Amino acid sequence: MSGGVTLEQKAVSAKRGKRLSPMVYLLIAVGALAVLSLVRVLSGATDLTSSGTVQAALIAAVPIAMAALAGLWAERAGVINIGLEGMMVLGTFGAGYAGYQWGPWAGVAFGLVLGVVGGLLHAVATVTFGVDHIISGVAINLLAPGAALFLSKLYFADAPGGGQKQSPRIADAEKITIPGASDLLGTVEAKRWFFVSDLAGVLRGLTTEVSLLTVLAVALLVLTAWVLWRTPFGLRLRSCGEAPTAAESLGVNVYRYKYLAVVASGAFAGLGGAFLAVSSGQFRDGQTGGRGFIGLAAMIFGNWRPGGLATGATLFGYTDAMALRGSGAVHALLLLLGIALLVVAVIQYRAGHHVLSGVAAAIGVLFAWWYFTSDEVPPELVGAAPYVVTLLVLGLASQRLRVPRAIGVPYQRGQGV
Amino acid sequence: MRGVRLTAGLVALGLGLAACGSDTAAPGGGPGTPAASSIKLGLAYDIGGRGDQSFNDSAARGLDKAEAEFGIDIKELEAAAGETDAQKEDRLRQLAEGGYNTIIAVGFAYAPALKKAAADYPDVKFALIDSEDAQGPNIANLVFAEQEGSFLVGVAAALKSQTGNVGFVGGVNTPLIQKFEVGYTAGVKAVKPDATVQVKYLTQPPDFTGFNDPAKGETAAKGMFDAGADVVYAAAGGSGNGVFKAAKANGRLGIGVDSDQYNLPALADVRDVIITSMVKEVDVAVYDFVTSVKNDKFTAGSHVYDLKAGGIGYATSGGKIDDIQGKIDEYKAKIVAGEIKVPAQK
Repeated sequence: MSGGVTLEQKAVSAKRGKRLSPMVYLLIAVGALAVLSLVRVLSGATDLTSSGTVQAALIAAVPIAMAALAGLWAERAGVINIGLEGMMVLGTFGAGYAGYQWGPWAGVAFGLVLGVVGGLLHAVATVTFGVDHIISGVAINLLAPGAALFLSKLYFADAPGGGQKQSPRIADAEKITIPGASDLLGTVEAKRWFFVSDLAGVLRGLTTEVSLLTVLAVALLVLTAWVLWRTPFGLRLRSCGEAPTAAESLGVNVYRYKYLAVVASGAFAGLGGAFLAVSSGQFRDGQTGGRGFIGLAAMIFGNWRPGGLATGATLFGYTDAMALRGSGAVHALLLLLGIALLVVAVIQYRAGHHVLSGVAAAIGVLFAWWYFTSDEVPPELVGAAPYVVTLLVLGLASQRLRVPRAIGVPYQRGQGV
Repeated sequence: MRGVRLTAGLVALGLGLAACGSDTAAPGGGPGTPAASSIKLGLAYDIGGRGDQSFNDSAARGLDKAEAEFGIDIKELEAAAGETDAQKEDRLRQLAEGGYNTIIAVGFAYAPALKKAAADYPDVKFALIDSEDAQGPNIANLVFAEQEGSFLVGVAAALKSQTGNVGFVGGVNTPLIQKFEVGYTAGVKAVKPDATVQVKYLTQPPDFTGFNDPAKGETAAKGMFDAGADVVYAAAGGSGNGVFKAAKANGRLGIGVDSDQYNLPALADVRDVIITSMVKEVDVAVYDFVTSVKNDKFTAGSHVYDLKAGGIGYATSGGKIDDIQGKIDEYKAKIVAGEIKVPAQK
């Protein structure tokens, strides 16, 4: 959430100096929630930290986070995967096809399989044949929706409750609620106390009606972080994205690792699509709506790291949920942005980036002024909120993005210099 | 080997030419062909197409009825999400060039394309559903008084609401969908002047994904329920499915749109929350148009399907509004008699 803004900031500055301890991260999170709470009290927009918003944010963030993870796997091995959107579309179709017949989990599995097919296609094109990564990705983005539409006409048009462009209904995955906690937190949330109620709202959102799909997504995020950063396999995979010829000279089979990475990427993207279809209750033509690209942006926002991309996806999910749930809360978001930008300005000033600090401060004041002189954000701009927030954060906080060094570079065995 | 391929190619070419030949010959009508078959009917769908369980399906029903009754030659073409006006225009021209002399464009999105195409084919009779933006001597504009139907479901919402707080989820913020909102709000206020109406459009044009994203519909409706609403009207195409899902999960009520959504197989598991639907008889309009062309009674300009003409109505399937139907019908009578003028614009 907005905690991510400062979190990301710290993570970036951490690279310059020593690593921050978990305690500091916790403090930053508490500080961010305090700011959020302050804005809520000032603006009266209770939806800023309500459990409903947190729930909606989680649901919206999951497909984006999966797409971002998919991007992470491919790009860490040096393959740009702009075909995420297409692979997600394949995943939504797979989930629709298997989901309505054999239940949500079969849908998830089948979505994953179709995602793998998309990933394999990308791997064959880019790794084996050395096709430009962007071209292959764009081709997949064009091919996948067409294929999904063709297949849906074939399989769904005559199915009961289906149509040419939509599947019959898929049952939702199981949802879990922590029994006592939810009610207790609900009572505290309703009191509207400063900070305590906000914390209760967030916690309640995280413990009430949480889909098992969300739990699985979080588990996959942790698993990815562990595999890529804590195992020899992960080290080798990342070495293929940084210096493939060096990896080759050390006996790493770069082709195999790139293949594995891109196939895993397809699997994650397919999962993202499947999660979306299952939680929406059906496959619909065009339902991904650019979430694959947003996932890619979340990954870049997260500096090609799992924690960062999770923050990015949550930020997208949060602003998206806010924009959909009511424009009153979006109006409060203006004030929040203003305060966050002023914090960024102070941090940048202390780091010696005076120009950047000035720009952040100016925009921050502008947002605060906008908040105090208006009653609501025009609906035309509400939908743009997630993108504006991300652009600002990308532009002003994450100055030091580090791209995997050999990304997008075609690799041929034995031809390294 | 090469010889075989060449022969196959020539045969295919010959077949293609033969097909073309028969196509162009048809409008003339062979000897003994009944007069009806001189109509060749082309229909261009909006995004969603046949099988969308809503707007397009309604048009398709009218088409099927006309086909069954008159036995005419029909061609249907589908639209893709995110296409340009030029693509829509191409679709209409393709139909006109193919000898289709009666062409129906489903949806307001066709207006700019139809305006251009219709000018070049003065002998072809066009119908444009949901828009008056393209006018011409060969264009019939089939429009609906959605605000009147929405007014009635607004009355139902206000009568069924216990919190005095109801919601409206619009798919895309276009003038057409605003008609639904304005009518609905007027209906709610007519019964309960102090009621709150929460309004949310899922996307802003030119982003039309709001008609096709149930996940967004669900989030928006959940937000309204959390803020105290207990009845939400979904004028959001396919995204409405998400609204009903949220209503079911939260034990609240929903109102459908365009067709009688209670009876749609795709919504069978959430139908017990759908108290009524604002029904738009697109099929009636399509069928009427085809009949008029068949009987040489085509008239250009606006054909308004309102409550009075029976082109708009509300559904009673499921029996959820049986107790208040009398009151709704009172309002209906007043609108038909002209005592209540339902606004169509903010």
